[in-house]
Amino acid sequence: MADVTYREALRRALDEELDRDRDVFLMGEEIGKFEGSYKVTAGLWQKYGAERVRETPISEEGFVGAGIGAAMMGLRPVVEIMTINFILVAMDQVVNHAAKIRYMFGGTVGVPLVIRTPGGAGAQLTAQHSQSLEAWFAGCPGLKVVAPSNPADAYGMLKTAIRDDDPVLFCENLVLYNVTGTVPENGDFTVPIGVAAVAKEGDDLTIVAHSYTVQRALRVADRLGQDGISVEVIDLRSLRPLDVDTVVESVRKTNRVLVAEEGWSTFGVGAELAARIQKACFDDLDAPVERVGAAEVPMPYSKPLELAALPLESKIEAAARSLLRECGL
Amino acid sequence: MPRLSDTMEEGRIGRWLKREGDSFREGDVIAEIETDKATMEFQAYDDGTVLRIIVDDGETAALGAPIAIVGEAGEEVAEPAEQPAEPEPEKTGSDPNFSREAPPSDVTSAPAGGNGKAEVLRVSPIARRMADTAGLDLRSLAGKGSGPDGRIVKADVERALQGATPVPGTDVAPAPEPSPPAVSAPGEGDEVRELSPMLKAVARRMTESKTTVPHFYVSSEIDMTRALQLRKELNEALADSGEKVSVNDLIVRASAQALVQHPQAHRSYVDGTHVYHAHAHVGIAVALDDGLIVPVLRDADTKSLRQIAVEARDLVERARAGKLRQNEIEGGTFTVSNMGMLGVSAFAAIINPPESTILAVSATIQRPVVRDGAVAVGDIMSVTLSCDHRACSGADGARLLQTVKRHLEAPTLLLA
Repeated sequence: MADVTYREALRRALDEELDRDRDVFLMGEEIGKFEGSYKVTAGLWQKYGAERVRETPISEEGFVGAGIGAAMMGLRPVVEIMTINFILVAMDQVVNHAAKIRYMFGGTVGVPLVIRTPGGAGAQLTAQHSQSLEAWFAGCPGLKVVAPSNPADAYGMLKTAIRDDDPVLFCENLVLYNVTGTVPENGDFTVPIGVAAVAKEGDDLTIVAHSYTVQRALRVADRLGQDGISVEVIDLRSLRPLDVDTVVESVRKTNRVLVAEEGWSTFGVGAELAARIQKACFDDLDAPVERVGAAEVPMPYSKPLELAALPLESKIEAAARSLLRECGL
Repeated sequence: MPRLSDTMEEGRIGRWLKREGDSFREGDVIAEIETDKATMEFQAYDDGTVLRIIVDDGETAALGAPIAIVGEAGEEVAEPAEQPAEPEPEKTGSDPNFSREAPPSDVTSAPAGGNGKAEVLRVSPIARRMADTAGLDLRSLAGKGSGPDGRIVKADVERALQGATPVPGTDVAPAPEPSPPAVSAPGEGDEVRELSPMLKAVARRMTESKTTVPHFYVSSEIDMTRALQLRKELNEALADSGEKVSVNDLIVRASAQALVQHPQAHRSYVDGTHVYHAHAHVGIAVALDDGLIVPVLRDADTKSLRQIAVEARDLVERARAGKLRQNEIEGGTFTVSNMGMLGVSAFAAIINPPESTILAVSATIQRPVVRDGAVAVGDIMSVTLSCDHRACSGADGARLLQTVKRHLEAPTLLLA
């Protein structure tokens, strides 16, 4: 097992699935000759040709709709949306069609579609291009929403998503693309959707996160560990279905929990988890569930303001320490 | 019971000035209430009539607890339930007789720390469950919770359970003898008395300071010969006006001058930050018959010796009479504790947080000193500065003390 980037893990999964199943094909803006804005599809157009690595115009609503139609007819399209910010023009296709068709056709037709798209912020892409909107979709029945935090999960979950018979929104993160990790060489390796992982075990505090925020949480856990505070990090991996059991098991052990996310806290992943946790763990809590998210503003362009708005490690750490102080630790 | 001082957790009714049936206007003083710091006048928030007094003269009530029922003259008052010594928990807010006329701000806005709001036992769910399982009576931890607003949390229950006797029956070494109580039980003829609210506050604040503030001490001997001469001349000159300058006024003046010259010794350590004080608000420790209060002489750095003398005298007199206002015992940036008149040769004082320094002043004693190579008689005053090491270094403290010494030994500087 060699260390590879998150980007390469995705590319490898796409390559292997294209090779394994003739029904799999890719669609998106500039994913062919240009190899995608973030080079996730590097070499695939050359290898599989323009028929299976299809370039589209700038028309998200059109090509997501085309993907849904192809999926209904039995293909397994993997649609790349350059960033999650651009999915908004295809909202009707995603929410009203992809998510609803199996239900509205009485279960006779499914939509085995994968939409791959990165979110996240930190590169001064400002208000319209720095969002983490996955929570909006995680609230929609009929969709599956995943957000792996490391190369192995990205590899294993993309394969699972492609083989799934229902639409999966596969959320990546711009900062994650260069994160490295070991990925099994075994082409049969998959990671299930709907199962969270204990990224690090601990006893004093649970930090729950998804996507790149897991990496931040792990570094915060290391820092707190130097002060003798034992932090457990839960990597949700999937937002819908949400693996509440793993979170609950952890909170029952640590009695204290903080949910961190890159999106806005209000109506966010932390809001959902806080509700689930207080229901399942009311008598286990030593302090109210704490949340850390982006500042409730459109992302500023100015670098200092951008840093101030992001849920950086320093903010997660401060919130964790404050929560622990409330518990006399 | 209204919050009449920042740190009060309970108050004692000194006396009611309006009795049952008396009516009053907004702003009338209806009672005198002894807080942890002073006896305060409790003014009516609105016009009304005292219908029933719940906490009588000399009795104590927790912050927010009902002390009286007021309303319209002749209004019916429902017979209150048996009034327990400690007000019934949860009752305060919901008692329809009281809620209407309850002091508006104190119940809801009280940011009680530690064991504030004694009427509600706040417990985190896991702490409650652990206590239930272990059969621990949470009331034994009332006021000792380390969470927000004194919430009892898991760590508190764990500590309480660890302190309990180990479960017998295992073949380990016999359980250790319980450690003896810190204070021996009262003996024959001894008398046990409750602390006054003020003494309770002193006990709590000094324990907090001595256990959480890293104190260090810098001592010096100051030759007061010239300062005493200056004082004599000033008092002769002021004799007609009735004004008098005390040795303590000289020390307050010298300290205020020194503090603004040494910002690193004139800052407070607060939550990982340093708060630099713009002006020297000098606390003057005043001993009472049984207790202690520290009125604050504000902006002492901008005031002349004469102004300081007049204000200090007024503050000390009113401190002894229990007539200080809340804002006169808050906001100090430095304290002078002078026991010179008691003849002590040396002592060190406990810092009054968030202040970072306190000057302990001992008696001025005539002693042989060497001046210009010859032995002479000097009036020597021994002083010890206690410093919070989080706010200032040893050298910072030493420099502050050095300047105080310089100003007292060359006292024309006090007039500058």
